[in-house]
Amino acid sequence: MNGSFRRLTVGIGLAAAFAAFSSSSVQAEGTLTLGMTVADIPSSKGAPDQGAEGIRWMGFTVYDSLVYWNLNQSKTIPVIVPALAHKFYPNPENNKEWIFELRKDVTFHDGSKFNADAVIWNLDKLFKEKAPQYDLQQRRAVAWRLAGIKTWRKIDDYKVAIGDNVPNALIPHQIVYVHISSPKHWADVGGWEAFAKHPSGTGPFKVEEIVPRERAVLVRNDNYWDKDRIPKLDKVILLPMPEASTRTAAILSGQANFIEAPSPDAVPRLKSSGMQIITNPYPHVWPYVLRLAGENTPMKDVRVRKALNLAIDRDAIVQLLRGMAVPAKGHVLPDSPWFGNPSFKIEYNPEKAKALLKEAGYGPDKPLKIKFMISTSGSGQMQPMPMNELVQQQLKKVNVDLSFEVTEWQALRAQRGKGPLDPGAREIHALNNSFGTYDPYSAFERFFSCDLLPPKGLNWAGVCDDEIQALIKKIKETFDPKEQDELLAKIHEHVVDNAYWVWVVHDVNPRALRPEVKGFRQAKSWYQDLTQIYIEK
Amino acid sequence: MSADSVAAAQAGEIPIGQLRSRGYWRSVWVRLRRDKVSVACAAVLILIALSAIFAPLLSPHDPYQGNVVKRLAPIGTAGYLLGTDELGRDMLSRLLYGGRVSLFIGLFPVFCALIVGGTAGIAAGFIGGRTNMAIMRLMDVFYAFPSILLAIAISGALGGGFSNVILALALILVPPITRVAESVTTQVRSYDFVEAARASGAGTWTIIRVHVLSNVLGPIFIYTTSLISFSIIVASGLSFLGLGVTPPTADWGLMLSTLRQAIWINPYAAALPGLMIFVTSLSFNLLSDGLRSAMDVRL
Repeated sequence: MNGSFRRLTVGIGLAAAFAAFSSSSVQAEGTLTLGMTVADIPSSKGAPDQGAEGIRWMGFTVYDSLVYWNLNQSKTIPVIVPALAHKFYPNPENNKEWIFELRKDVTFHDGSKFNADAVIWNLDKLFKEKAPQYDLQQRRAVAWRLAGIKTWRKIDDYKVAIGDNVPNALIPHQIVYVHISSPKHWADVGGWEAFAKHPSGTGPFKVEEIVPRERAVLVRNDNYWDKDRIPKLDKVILLPMPEASTRTAAILSGQANFIEAPSPDAVPRLKSSGMQIITNPYPHVWPYVLRLAGENTPMKDVRVRKALNLAIDRDAIVQLLRGMAVPAKGHVLPDSPWFGNPSFKIEYNPEKAKALLKEAGYGPDKPLKIKFMISTSGSGQMQPMPMNELVQQQLKKVNVDLSFEVTEWQALRAQRGKGPLDPGAREIHALNNSFGTYDPYSAFERFFSCDLLPPKGLNWAGVCDDEIQALIKKIKETFDPKEQDELLAKIHEHVVDNAYWVWVVHDVNPRALRPEVKGFRQAKSWYQDLTQIYIEK
Repeated sequence: MSADSVAAAQAGEIPIGQLRSRGYWRSVWVRLRRDKVSVACAAVLILIALSAIFAPLLSPHDPYQGNVVKRLAPIGTAGYLLGTDELGRDMLSRLLYGGRVSLFIGLFPVFCALIVGGTAGIAAGFIGGRTNMAIMRLMDVFYAFPSILLAIAISGALGGGFSNVILALALILVPPITRVAESVTTQVRSYDFVEAARASGAGTWTIIRVHVLSNVLGPIFIYTTSLISFSIIVASGLSFLGLGVTPPTADWGLMLSTLRQAIWINPYAAALPGLMIFVTSLSFNLLSDGLRSAMDVRL
């Protein structure tokens, strides 16, 4: 502890004080500075990485897809609407295909024309390994969302057919994730590496600057084809801020004026500083995906699965989150058209849980010992550490000895892709991974189809149920939305009645906005539309 | 040194090295006692250690049971002297129990690394040649990675948990201890008294035991004590990142990590685990500094 150490300490203190004062600088008008939950700027080539957060802010801002959602309202769960395709419908001559009729008035940010060739070129970039533009990174980021897209062909300059090997009514729900990059710009700049630095899509924002791990600056696309969605903002600056406390500090100091997922415990402080706190329940679930695959898993016993569902006091978890969650009654929200009427009621009933566990052979003398993999943070993971610790306490009361394999978010994502039988899974019995349940594929097929076991798909649990399989097949062959909803409700009832997962809460998508940020209508979706936002002078 | 003991030594009843050593350690103790900062730090560490050892007796509540209704109660709340954490658990009880984990993780890996690194370093320094080359180049491999990054990589590969943290910390602490041990042993080996002992027919083990160890253990020990605070901080850092001990274990690093979200409404409670890490590591550092001064015969 000598003099130079003391001088260093004083120097650091002064630097910190200077940084604190300088951070309260005033934002330029019309600029939305957005604190994201990701640790880096998502890939800007077309198919963003960094999970759904990347798609949200680097996908649907810079790029368009053939279809989109009606995110411009906050009342109902958004549905698929036309985008770069002004019209889409099942091919009347071949029910394995969908026809997409394309807009003729769309240009990329580089000025080149959008047409059917661009659509084919973009599907080739993901799936055709011999295509010059094939990009493994983009394929890995998005291909698992496109399990039903097997064929594509150009009909004419403004019409394409995209299909599966079987009739598939769910294709539009998947094609929404294919963002259309500019083929001409890719050729002009000489490949994906250069393209990522200066991307070109057809979206409402253009990329002005990307500084890895620091910021991405997007500017308004004045020539955007959808005149109703030409952004009111001049700029959007995306800042990667994985730490909730950092995001809170950023908005309080004025460094950001729009932040994702503030910590619930920071909300009183944010409100007292005049910040707007915006929430809206949306199709999202914070569950435990139980391992049915492999040996040595008590989760194969439906009594154990039901007991775990009954042992969780969801109201206490909502209280922990200061009301920023909805207790789960099933896989989807109770107001979803797919909820149906499950016979197994998900509620807090520790006595019934104990009885079920006793039937299964577990009790005070022989507690059920299980291990779950959890992450320390992550996109959509809410507050994983305290939530999991509270669940651990609650399960202890019904003779369940729960331990954790704590891991980093990207490591957990990697594990879920490899499956529970991979050595890296370390014999865990469940995975705590939140998911969006926006569409039939995202909500059910990817988790409960026998065809989508890891590493092919996301059915990490290893559920392979003939009834679900038959219902999925039937849904794909059903093109009437109402009939489709009824079939989806049947799947939901079956999944809940078998307690294939443990469902805990649904997120309400909290965001904090500075008082001057106006015009934001939070959709009941993970994805949001920034085009209507403006900064009040 | 009394006249009797000198006479006994001269008569060959007490080995000279032992006589010198006893006087040396006594003077170290006297010097250390005169250093008020070191005494204060030692007192703080003893207090922390005792409170950790007797945590089951001192804790007013079960550190693992909480009530969400009472979460984040401020310091001074009736029944909760230091408030409650994010799950409504008593902060005082968790800090007391947390001391057990944090102190153990601070001390035990350093002890393991001292045994392994000290032995390897002394062997490398004394034997020299190819043995030295093999041991020290192996250590250079570990040195190629920043120690904290290496600890994160090891913990990440093995998974979190108490034993894996200890292993990760011990592995990153072995190379620096080996290097210091090798350096001082190489130096001592070249001294005249070692040559004289060898010339007078002393065996290798006798030379190592009487002449080398008595001269190299001091510097190695001082350096090792300075690593305790580093070990505590790295262990806390691993827990903070989720790579250390797993919930619900009361550990200062893990507590700091989970409470940081509450810093906007209960900053003092959120800062307490950090304060404990700071005070403990600072005390170990200052005590290590004092010990170095007390053991330095030139001062």
